[in-house]
Amino acid sequence: MTGGSPSVTSRVTSRLSDLLAAGRVFTAAAHCAAYEVDGLQPSAVLQPESAAEIAEVLRFAAAEHLAVIPMGARTKLAIGMPPKRLDLALDLSRMNRVLAYDPRDLTCGVEAGVPFADLDRQLAGERQFLPLAPAFAERATLGGIVAAGADSPLRYAYGTARDYLLGVEFVTGDAVVSKSGGRVVKNVTGYDLQKVLIGSLGTLAVITRLNFRTFPLPPEQQTFVSSFAAAEAALAWCGAIAKSPLQPKLVEVLDPGTTKLFAAQGCRQLKLDRWSVVVTAAGHHAVVERHAQDLEKLAREQQAADFTVLDKSEESAVLRCISEFPREVLDAYPGAVIFRIAVLPSAIPDLLRQSASMLDRCSARAGTNSSGMNQAILVRAAGVVYIALLPAPNAPVGPVAPLIQACLELMDIDIALGVRPVIEWCPLAVKHELTAAGKSIWPPIGAEHVLAERLKKVFDPHAILSPGRFQGGI
Amino acid sequence: MDAKLIRELAQLLGKTAVLAGADDMLLYEYDGSIDEARPDCVVFPRSTQDVVEIVKLANRFDVPIVGRGSGTGLSGGAIARRGGIIVAFSRMKRILEIDVVNQRAVVQPGVVNFDLTRAVETEGLYFAPDPSSQKACTIGGNVAENSGGPHTLAYGVTSSHVTGLELVLPDASVYRIGGRTIETPGYDLTGLFVGSEGTFALVTEITVKLSRLPEEVGTLLAVFDTVEDATDTVADITSRGVTPAACEMLDAWTLRAVEAFVHAGFPLDAAAVLLLEVEGVREAAEAQSAEIADVCRLHHAREVRRAADGRERELLWKGRKNAFGAVGRLSPSYYVMDGVIPRTRLTVTLRFIEGVGQRYQLQIGNVFHAGDGNLHPLILFDQRDPAQLARAIAAAGEIMKFCVEMGGALTGEHGIGMEKSELMPLMFSDSDLDLMRRVRSAFNPTGRLNPDKVLPLGKGCGETRIDTQAAAATPA
Repeated sequence: MTGGSPSVTSRVTSRLSDLLAAGRVFTAAAHCAAYEVDGLQPSAVLQPESAAEIAEVLRFAAAEHLAVIPMGARTKLAIGMPPKRLDLALDLSRMNRVLAYDPRDLTCGVEAGVPFADLDRQLAGERQFLPLAPAFAERATLGGIVAAGADSPLRYAYGTARDYLLGVEFVTGDAVVSKSGGRVVKNVTGYDLQKVLIGSLGTLAVITRLNFRTFPLPPEQQTFVSSFAAAEAALAWCGAIAKSPLQPKLVEVLDPGTTKLFAAQGCRQLKLDRWSVVVTAAGHHAVVERHAQDLEKLAREQQAADFTVLDKSEESAVLRCISEFPREVLDAYPGAVIFRIAVLPSAIPDLLRQSASMLDRCSARAGTNSSGMNQAILVRAAGVVYIALLPAPNAPVGPVAPLIQACLELMDIDIALGVRPVIEWCPLAVKHELTAAGKSIWPPIGAEHVLAERLKKVFDPHAILSPGRFQGGI
Repeated sequence: MDAKLIRELAQLLGKTAVLAGADDMLLYEYDGSIDEARPDCVVFPRSTQDVVEIVKLANRFDVPIVGRGSGTGLSGGAIARRGGIIVAFSRMKRILEIDVVNQRAVVQPGVVNFDLTRAVETEGLYFAPDPSSQKACTIGGNVAENSGGPHTLAYGVTSSHVTGLELVLPDASVYRIGGRTIETPGYDLTGLFVGSEGTFALVTEITVKLSRLPEEVGTLLAVFDTVEDATDTVADITSRGVTPAACEMLDAWTLRAVEAFVHAGFPLDAAAVLLLEVEGVREAAEAQSAEIADVCRLHHAREVRRAADGRERELLWKGRKNAFGAVGRLSPSYYVMDGVIPRTRLTVTLRFIEGVGQRYQLQIGNVFHAGDGNLHPLILFDQRDPAQLARAIAAAGEIMKFCVEMGGALTGEHGIGMEKSELMPLMFSDSDLDLMRRVRSAFNPTGRLNPDKVLPLGKGCGETRIDTQAAAATPA
């Protein structure tokens, strides 16, 4: 499944060179290899510098029936199903300007290729931030983070891009430069098209500009960790916090597998073989103090083994690991499969029980002991559970492999919980096995598929944008 | 309208669920704004299935359909601009489920906003969007308009509080989108449908997030001798990183009008007052109250008063929330606008609005959400005098244009509806609007549902209304 697409002829490549200035079109195989998506290598890499140039490229691509995938730092291209086709990689990394930042208004506007870290440093200079707290934070671009629908531990207090993305400019698949929303913090003018671009994996449009609301950095913050012998007690503490008047910045639960992973990354104060709950409180000194007192009291009531205030270096290590969870997992276990499962808080204990017993069943069925495959779980108390299935080193991937069986079972997990699991990260071989089993990394889509299809037709009538990566084969 | 359609509707829903008399129609020809158009009939479904059957009949008889809650909207969203059937949701007003642990509620669209809060407040919860009309407006209407309110500053407009919807499309098909969980896989259709102003679908069931009531609320009234001091205070509070839950401003004229009506204790000789609210744990409310009071004094606040108890807080808010009612006592008609500007441009914008009032010889009051730059200029006029109406509309157009030139928006929370559809080209290009039109057509291809709303009626005629009205109304 490698090699250039035969649809791209030398005539096409020479036309591409007319579209963008010299030095911004690459067709050498060695260069294109770095832009591979799920085994498909583009025939050309284009580095546009404006929405107008992207429109030119897409007009040409539509006429020539070329498939295009927009990319930023290429950190999350493994998310989604394998594209059906890939001819042109649209590399937005040259669109890296911060176009507007008004600290007094707490708003900013950036080109899609701006790395999160660059913007974050600029905002920090004004004691502000954007609560995206993304994985791959040093490289990931704002366009990529939004298009991939990434969430973060900060959603507990700040929500997701859905709540603070004020407006976008984008180019549709039929080469129209368009926009929705605006630059002000409150705005209901026109249809809220940016909502559907969030998490659309580049299947509807190429995002070129994003306007965000920024937030003041709290004057102080402190992070606390309690450890628990069992998931139920850990989650009970989260429930008690949710019912209290406290307003922490984040509440995250780490299973023993994740705790171990983070400990290996320099988180010294986490207790091994236990469930850890990490809570960060922020605000004025008195507010942080109050959280420290009340959180400790609630932790004791839930039979926490301990209650630790992290020192600053430990805090930054733990929070970095939480934000970088998928990267930490994949660095340690390149063959890992990471599920993203939105679930109502009350159903989290049941989901974790089912996941654990599924793992045991699959391992037993494969005739290995349960140490053959492990899990690492990160629970956002706000209602998202990440379950990473960690295969033993050199474990085979095939139809009967425990990993595949586990994936299939977890995809079908008790619907009574009202959950629709998505496999956010997995090796290409797992995607192929799922396809062979008639499944996908996406949960089955219901009748609303009709609506999604209609939307796709409006935004990308020629189906040239990231074809096949999205739910329902879109 | 075809009498046969009325008969069939009555057969379907029962006689008491269909209104078609001329007198009855008078009650459904307007909303809280200044536009009017008479429907041919009004129907009151009790279930999703009723709605489906109504839509089928509308298709068969080829008439428009317009959804309507309590009719408190401020942009003509629920007005039957091309006649036809108004689907009034006032009998679909059941709270179907309250999930305290997960902080969710499932409601029918006709549930009144404040009734949901009342139903859950004993559990320490509330529904965060709080339009001034919250004791009358419906959650279905909030969803259509993506409504806001004073506390939007901290908690976001309606779309941040909705996780799932049941829809009836204009082809009578029924879909459930989103869900109860905090996110669902696939395109965020819920986010797209909220705020589509009833032009994509009729919403028949809504799943909302419930928020936890704060431990402490601090309400402050700051009194200023100049408008500039008040607006500078707002900009300074924002840039210092203090995030009040609400930050409202009333100018001199408005606060006198309000005081005469509500007796909230507003000083009659002030140039402006700010009504500020901070929320959270006790310590957060205390610290932020102190910080805000300091900033107010730095900008020469004559007085900073903190509500001593719940009763005083209620009174101060009563003054704010009844401002429009107070103005209604003083003027035969008024036109509420909803422009948004960057918060750093408050001073220059208010000065501009004052100039517009002088040029058009119209009294313009200002009572608005200063914290997020969402202005509500109230233009007073007498609708019986066509020249005054024309001047009011022309003045509004100038103010809107100015907001957009400042980098702002046409509407912060009231919606576009039929009121501002012709102004959309001020913010959006022809191709932007064409895409929005195509998105609408994906769900409402014939335009039968809430026709002629949101998008301008014809290409290139964007400023027709302003221009023609302005020509008839040269500034006096």
